[in-house]
Amino acid sequence: MSFRGMLREMKGEVGAISRRGLLRPRTPSVRRVAAVAPEEATRQGCCWAELPPELLREVLARVEEAEPRWPRRRDVVACAGVCRTWRGVVKEIVRVPAESGKLTFPISVKQPGPRDAPMKCFIRRNRTTQTYYLYIGLTDALTDDGKFLLAARKGHRPTCTEYLISLDRSDTSRGSHACIGKLRSNFLRTKFTVYDAHPPHAAAGFSNRWSAGNYPVSHVHYELNVLGSRGPRRMRCVMHSIPVSAIEQGGTAPTQTGFPSSNDNSSASLPFFKSKSCRMDSFTAPLSIQDQEESKLVLKNKSPRWHEHLQCWCLNFHGRVTVASVKNFQLVATDESAPTNQEHDNTTLQFGKIGKDLFTMDYRYPLSAFQAFAICLSSFDTKLACE
Amino acid sequence: MAATTADGSKVVGGGEKSNVDEESKMITLFSSDGERFEVTQEAAAMSQTIHHMMEDGCVDDEGVHLPNVGSSILAMVIEYCNRHVASPDEKEDIRSFDAGFVNVEHHTLFDIIRAANYLDVKELMDLCCQTVADSIKSKSVEEIRELFGIVNDFTPEEEAEIRKENQWAFE
Repeated sequence: MSFRGMLREMKGEVGAISRRGLLRPRTPSVRRVAAVAPEEATRQGCCWAELPPELLREVLARVEEAEPRWPRRRDVVACAGVCRTWRGVVKEIVRVPAESGKLTFPISVKQPGPRDAPMKCFIRRNRTTQTYYLYIGLTDALTDDGKFLLAARKGHRPTCTEYLISLDRSDTSRGSHACIGKLRSNFLRTKFTVYDAHPPHAAAGFSNRWSAGNYPVSHVHYELNVLGSRGPRRMRCVMHSIPVSAIEQGGTAPTQTGFPSSNDNSSASLPFFKSKSCRMDSFTAPLSIQDQEESKLVLKNKSPRWHEHLQCWCLNFHGRVTVASVKNFQLVATDESAPTNQEHDNTTLQFGKIGKDLFTMDYRYPLSAFQAFAICLSSFDTKLACE
Repeated sequence: MAATTADGSKVVGGGEKSNVDEESKMITLFSSDGERFEVTQEAAAMSQTIHHMMEDGCVDDEGVHLPNVGSSILAMVIEYCNRHVASPDEKEDIRSFDAGFVNVEHHTLFDIIRAANYLDVKELMDLCCQTVADSIKSKSVEEIRELFGIVNDFTPEEEAEIRKENQWAFE
């Protein structure tokens, strides 16, 4: 038989198959047997659930790319809530903030910020309710409507202050599932501990009894400098959850990928909120061998220069801070093991006043929005002042 | 632009067939329901699937059978290809045409995407995928499910988490 003859036969076969109709695997959304031309089946009900995976990915990738900024970025989150298939595809497409420079899901606030340029946020303070609200800017302006990220409410206790940090602006109560961490001071408000409600590292190495939610992840220490209260205070942050290697070439910082399910029995007891003592906690979560051996990242505030002409301490905030305040600071990574205690050039966290009860907060890798926010709260709280 | 010839087959677009040059060579396409379409090879070649068949010499005198594409959708795809081949440089016109082209029922859009995917017409797939992506904008989870006829297959616990996630996102 000639080649053409064989082709003709094959086509005849295929044509015959199409005329008979193919029985396709059923899904809940298919309501008719495909014994007619393919498109007629779809007129009865929608067959979008049968969209080939590569096309679904193409569509969702376009949604993700089209909306890099809030508030429109919520479209990406909405797509991830449609069904399991869509959620899987969106989760594959969305990259962590360290790579994409974008915040998407709530867990983004716990993940290290972008490496290239800082994430520009701002904080609004409500003095009446003693609550602080963190927003990410919608534009490049110093402040705008912003997209809400986190809220923190100050609680006074006999021997310390405590800030509960929550994903829900209207719920910063103890025991709330929306609470992702807290900041606690010592009696003198010179030392602070940041607690994460969830394990900073992946579950490996931690036994179940520690998944309850009281993980010290950093300590912030304020001191007067050599000029005493006549000079700017010194800040030193030890990031227990971030190794120094994170800021070295090719290094990575621990990245949480999701919140533990609220179904988790261990989280139901929430000893996170049961501790009565306000004594400075020692690092109580069990350290893996790796943790113990690796040096932790230390951040210190950049030393301002005394400006004789202006008679003030000056730091270059690149236009992001416009009002002088003792609270303003820039934190840089410091290699304490190096002989000359070198400072890295890139500012990891910058915080400063721009108006009444309004502050900018710019953070970058390896800090997360949550850690940055907690450190900034300590700046509000500490009592070390500068004359 | 369709005209019926003596033997009942439809000639869709194609322009004049006066000169013997490559562009005006015709090819016959058969939809899944047996309807015949005469198309210029140039327009047909916008489909990579058909283009490869033509290159590989798999197209005989009869034409190309497309068992996965029905006549109404195939007619639309051919109209798209003809338009894009006719005046590829007139960007404004093309854009206007494209906007009108995808202004169809949502389920028709689904059929066009499937056909464009099968026929591998990249420009048409891009256009349709972008249209679908645009249709998702500013919609809630429930609205998206309704538009696409998608069943919620999350467990109640998962659904509760997703609700919180969306509450934060729409804050």
